Amino acid sequence: MTTAVQPSGGGGGLDRPSSSGLADVIDTILDKGLVIDAYVRVSLVGIELLTIDARVVVASVDTYLRFAEAVNRLDISDTEQKGLPDLLEDMNSGGAKAKTRGALEAAGDKLRDILGEDEEEEEPTGRGRKGR
Amino acid sequence: MTTETETQTDGETETGTAVYVYGIVPSDVELDPEIRGVGDPPASVSTVASGPIAALVSEIPQDAPLGRPEDLSAHAGLLDAAAAELPVLPLRFGAVVSDVDAVKEELLDANQDDFTSALDQLEGKAEYLVRARYDERVILREIIGENDRMGQLADAIRGKPEEATRNERMALGELITQAIEAKRAADTQRVADALADLDVELAARQPTHDEEAVHLAVLAEVERQDELEDVVGELAKEWEGRVEVRLLGPLAAYDFVVTRTPE
Repeated sequence: MTTAVQPSGGGGGLDRPSSSGLADVIDTILDKGLVIDAYVRVSLVGIELLTIDARVVVASVDTYLRFAEAVNRLDISDTEQKGLPDLLEDMNSGGAKAKTRGALEAAGDKLRDILGEDEEEEEPTGRGRKGR
Repeated sequence: MTTETETQTDGETETGTAVYVYGIVPSDVELDPEIRGVGDPPASVSTVASGPIAALVSEIPQDAPLGRPEDLSAHAGLLDAAAAELPVLPLRFGAVVSDVDAVKEELLDANQDDFTSALDQLEGKAEYLVRARYDERVILREIIGENDRMGQLADAIRGKPEEATRNERMALGELITQAIEAKRAADTQRVADALADLDVELAARQPTHDEEAVHLAVLAEVERQDELEDVVGELAKEWEGRVEVRLLGPLAAYDFVVTRTPE
C-alpha cells in the first residue's frame, strides 16, 4: 500500500503534498475518528496527555496584540517611523482607557513610571524615568 | 485498568502485551506483511476478523509509551494508505485493548451491524482535507482597507510602542479577529459551493490557527479525485498570493465516522 498521490492539475498555487505533515496528523488523529468504549480500553502511558485538545484559536489578548503589531509592521514599511517625542506626546491616549484589568493596568503603571507623571508623581518609586 | 492479558511473557517479567487498534476494515482485506505500525521498533500489523469485518491491530508491550511523532505518523499513514484502496473506519489515536479476544468480542462483535453499514457507506470514498491559510500581510491590508475604524486605529498605533498604545492595539486586534472570522466563513462557503457539483459530504473543522482561511474535510469518491483537485486548484489559482491552499488525501474518513453515544 502506498499513499503517493501525484498532483494532477500542476501548479496554480495548490499545494498537494503526498503525505500529511505531523501537524496535520495531530489535528486529525487526536481529535477525530472513532472512540472505543472506555471499559474496553486499556490505559497506556502517555495517552491521556496526548488526547488533551491540541487546538488553539480562542481569540485572546495575545492574538489581538499580535495582529495589531502585524499591522504596525505593515505600516512601518510604508511610512516613516515616529520618533520619541511623538511617542511621548501620544502617550495619554494610550494609558487612560484601560478596559481590561491585570496586564493592562500593569502596563499603564509602567507607562506612568516611564513618563513620571500622573497623580502618583508625589510618590516616586525610584525606578521611573522622567520623560520630559 | 491495566489488565494482565497475553501470557507469553509470563514468568519472565511483569510486562504483558496489549493490542493497539488502528481501525476497522472489511475482513477480506489483504495486508502487506511488510507494513509496520506504532511502537519502537515499529510493530507488525495484523488483522483480527469477525464475520465481514476486521480490526487492523498491532500487539504492543503494555508498558510502551506511545505518542512519539513516529507513532502518530504510523497510525495515520497506515489508515490513510488503507483508505485509498478500501473502506476504513479510523479509530482515534491511542485505542488499546487488553487482548485479541477483547477486540473480537467487545469491539467487533458488539458493533458488527454499525461497523458493517458504516463500511458499506464508505465504499469507494475517502476523506480529503482542504486547508488554507491567509497570507498575513495581504489579508491585513485587505481587512484594514475595508474598514475605516481599523484604518484609524492602525494610524493611531503606527510606529508607537505597545505600552503606549495598548488600548488601540486591543481594539484593532479584536476587530481584525472578527474580520478574519467573517472572511473565513465566507471563504469556507466558497470552497463548499465550488465542491457542490462533486457530490461530496463536507465537515467543517475548527480553525487551528489565527489566520486559517479554510479547514474543511471532504468525503469524496476516490475515482473523482482528479475533479476534486481541479476544483480546489482553480480556487487556489484565484486566491494565489492571498491564500495558500493545501489539499491532503486520500485520508481515512476521520471526520465522517461518528461514535455512537452509549444509551
